[in-house]
Amino acid sequence: MAIVRMKKLAAIGHESVKHDLMAELMRLGVVELNAQDEKLTDEEWSSLVSRDGNEVAVSRLDGEISKADLALETIERYGTAKKPLIRTRRAVAAAEFDEALKKKSQIVTSVDEVIALNNELNELRSAENRVQTNKLSLMPWSGYDVPLEMQGTRFAEVMIGVVPSVAEVDKLKAEVSEKSAESVVDLIGSDAEQHYLSILCMKKDTEEIMDLLKQYGFNRVTFKGVEGTASENIAKCDKELSEIAEKRAAVEEKIRNAESEKGNIEFFHDSLIIERDQEKVKARMLTTKRAFYVDGWVIAQKEELVKKAFEKYECYYEITEPEKGEETPVLLHNAAVLSPYEAITRLYALPDSRTVDATPFFGFFYMMFFGMMLADIAYGAMISIATFVILKSFRLEGMMKQMFQMFCWCGLATMFWGAMFGGFFGDLLTVIADTFFGVEFTITPLWINPLEEPMTLLIFCFILGAIHLALGMGLNAYLSIKDGRPFDAFCDVGLWYIFLAGLVLWLGGLIGGIFSAGITQIGLYMTVIGAVGIILTGGRHKKGIGKITGGLGSLYGVTSYLSDVLSYSRLLALGLASAVIASVVNTMGSLAGGGILGVFVMAIAFVIGHSYNIAINALGSFVHSCRLQYVEFFGKFYESGGEAFDPFNEKTKYVQILREDN
Amino acid sequence: MSIEVANLVFNGTFLALLGAAAAAFGGGLGSSLGVGVAGEAAAGVIAEDPKKFGQTLVLQALPGTQGIYGLLIAFIIMLKVGILGGAGIAELTIPQGLYILAASLPICVVGAVSGLSQGRTAAAGIMMIAKRPEEIAKAMVYPAMVETYAVLALLISFLMVNGVAI
Repeated sequence: MAIVRMKKLAAIGHESVKHDLMAELMRLGVVELNAQDEKLTDEEWSSLVSRDGNEVAVSRLDGEISKADLALETIERYGTAKKPLIRTRRAVAAAEFDEALKKKSQIVTSVDEVIALNNELNELRSAENRVQTNKLSLMPWSGYDVPLEMQGTRFAEVMIGVVPSVAEVDKLKAEVSEKSAESVVDLIGSDAEQHYLSILCMKKDTEEIMDLLKQYGFNRVTFKGVEGTASENIAKCDKELSEIAEKRAAVEEKIRNAESEKGNIEFFHDSLIIERDQEKVKARMLTTKRAFYVDGWVIAQKEELVKKAFEKYECYYEITEPEKGEETPVLLHNAAVLSPYEAITRLYALPDSRTVDATPFFGFFYMMFFGMMLADIAYGAMISIATFVILKSFRLEGMMKQMFQMFCWCGLATMFWGAMFGGFFGDLLTVIADTFFGVEFTITPLWINPLEEPMTLLIFCFILGAIHLALGMGLNAYLSIKDGRPFDAFCDVGLWYIFLAGLVLWLGGLIGGIFSAGITQIGLYMTVIGAVGIILTGGRHKKGIGKITGGLGSLYGVTSYLSDVLSYSRLLALGLASAVIASVVNTMGSLAGGGILGVFVMAIAFVIGHSYNIAINALGSFVHSCRLQYVEFFGKFYESGGEAFDPFNEKTKYVQILREDN
Repeated sequence: MSIEVANLVFNGTFLALLGAAAAAFGGGLGSSLGVGVAGEAAAGVIAEDPKKFGQTLVLQALPGTQGIYGLLIAFIIMLKVGILGGAGIAELTIPQGLYILAASLPICVVGAVSGLSQGRTAAAGIMMIAKRPEEIAKAMVYPAMVETYAVLALLISFLMVNGVAI
């Protein structure tokens, strides 16, 4: 339960078994191997051993992996197979995996083929771009029917060019013909930026006319290596484009043909990853000429498996308990009902290995808080069913699986509180009964209607919060005792329990009048004893005058307990928010009254309004439920900062290889 | 004459509706500013990495709740006054109207202020997940800290409106 116990591991073995041993450890996946940088800087060690590892092999394998990646990406992009909503790993039996990899050379060929096809596509694409650009530059001249290479005759100059669109073409024409009557300026076309002009003039006048044109911002345009008229060339471009498109389609077709190989390429990709990681892990080993050394951590429960492996390869090994107070890598393990909430713990930060995993303690509260803030039978059912379907139809793993499981449970809690408060799409049934059938109908809540009795519910929220906080304080005490500091547990938690419980009894009796005079009196005594105790012990770690002020200061901490408890009022407020917004939606739907139109309006309001409400309020419930754990609950005891256990295992991307032994 | 006009304008129902308007106004103002600020930050992050759209959208949505709280209080006031629902508009006395107006103030003011600052916090969170997308939960908790006060204001406004007898 909770934080998995780890043991220290160190082993020495002969070079010849290294590879097989590592393969075996990887299959087991219960060992984390440490990096050895520290030992290498230690002279005692570094005079004997050196770092193992083969960077060349690793980078060669990395290269192959990225090739396989590219091939898979290409197939995915042009293939016909639909992309799944959620990417999951397939489960594959070890035998099938090994069988598929027997055809390795064939797979490598198809990877190379796909990559070649991809390169071909890239070339075609850049060719297409080139032609497209050519075509675009020719397009404005399509009305110019003189061949583009024509620059002039013996006596005449022929040129084309552009002026900015602000230039006045008519004025330009007039000025040119004024200068020399033989010259002709024609407007071929215009667009938002430019006017396209052709100019015909006598060679002797060229200079003069150019000067004039320059004043209008004229730029001569020439097409190098182009023959024939613009429209001829455009037709040529079009032909080329359609040829390229055909070729592209053919290549894409070929890629689609390779789709049948996708599964095998995925196997190949993952086998490369396994191989790469086996090479990579060698950098975490120390080596002499004939022997190697590794150390790390092993899951205590799986110790036997690892022992067997070491014995099989005749290694010398030591598996020992960690020293007291030594940090170990952290792996969380909880019962199936609670494990989904590990996701919430992990989103915050892993606990320090010497403390306690909060997951089993807050899981139930998390679910209940979420449910109270959404509190609707229909919403809860929708969440639960949707997540359940996803969980059943996808092979999810890790954090994602935990999140979906968690929402599935939270949906159930939402249904529970929905029933308690009488919410089904807010007050949908009431509104429908009233609008369409003219009858009065309400779902009778199992407990109370929060809109009518908010104060009752508010107090319930505070009580729930107080229990939650008391549990957090209790865990703090537990940690102190476990750490050998029972006195701290008494002072920091025990006295507060007395003080706070007393305060509730005393004030509850005095102001609220809910307790009898005797209990109120006991409450008063408890408050005083607690307060005095806190003042006396609060400053015990300080010196001099701090002993007194520290005590007063820590008693002042009562305000933080007050604000912590008040913080749980969000359970009521957000619960009201989801209920009232739902009823806003229903009221809007009922505005058109009964009849066909009314049904229509109701349907639209229902679909849009409730989807919006469920989205925004589920998000709110998630975030605020997290906050109550992170700030109020964790604040009382939780120490984060553990390093995650990172086992040496098969970190494959597409398939999970199932083996009989685990 | 002038007293009649004054009575026509400053009657209890008008004051109550003014409260409803103030609640919707304050909450909506805060949220629109906040969601806007967060959206600007999100767009900047998306320019670099469009895959973060979903994550940034979640963060951008967080300061949107003040508007909803404002709407909620406005809605409850409208129900109470009878402008929504079947009963027809009730004639409120001026003190009753003023009570409701006062009840709307917490969510009006706090909604406006907290919406903007929550938006800023969300924007900072969005910047954070640009670099560390795996820490999105933490980026969500910071804006939730700000939202606490909007939730408290909502609660007080709700209890006050609920408590006014008509």
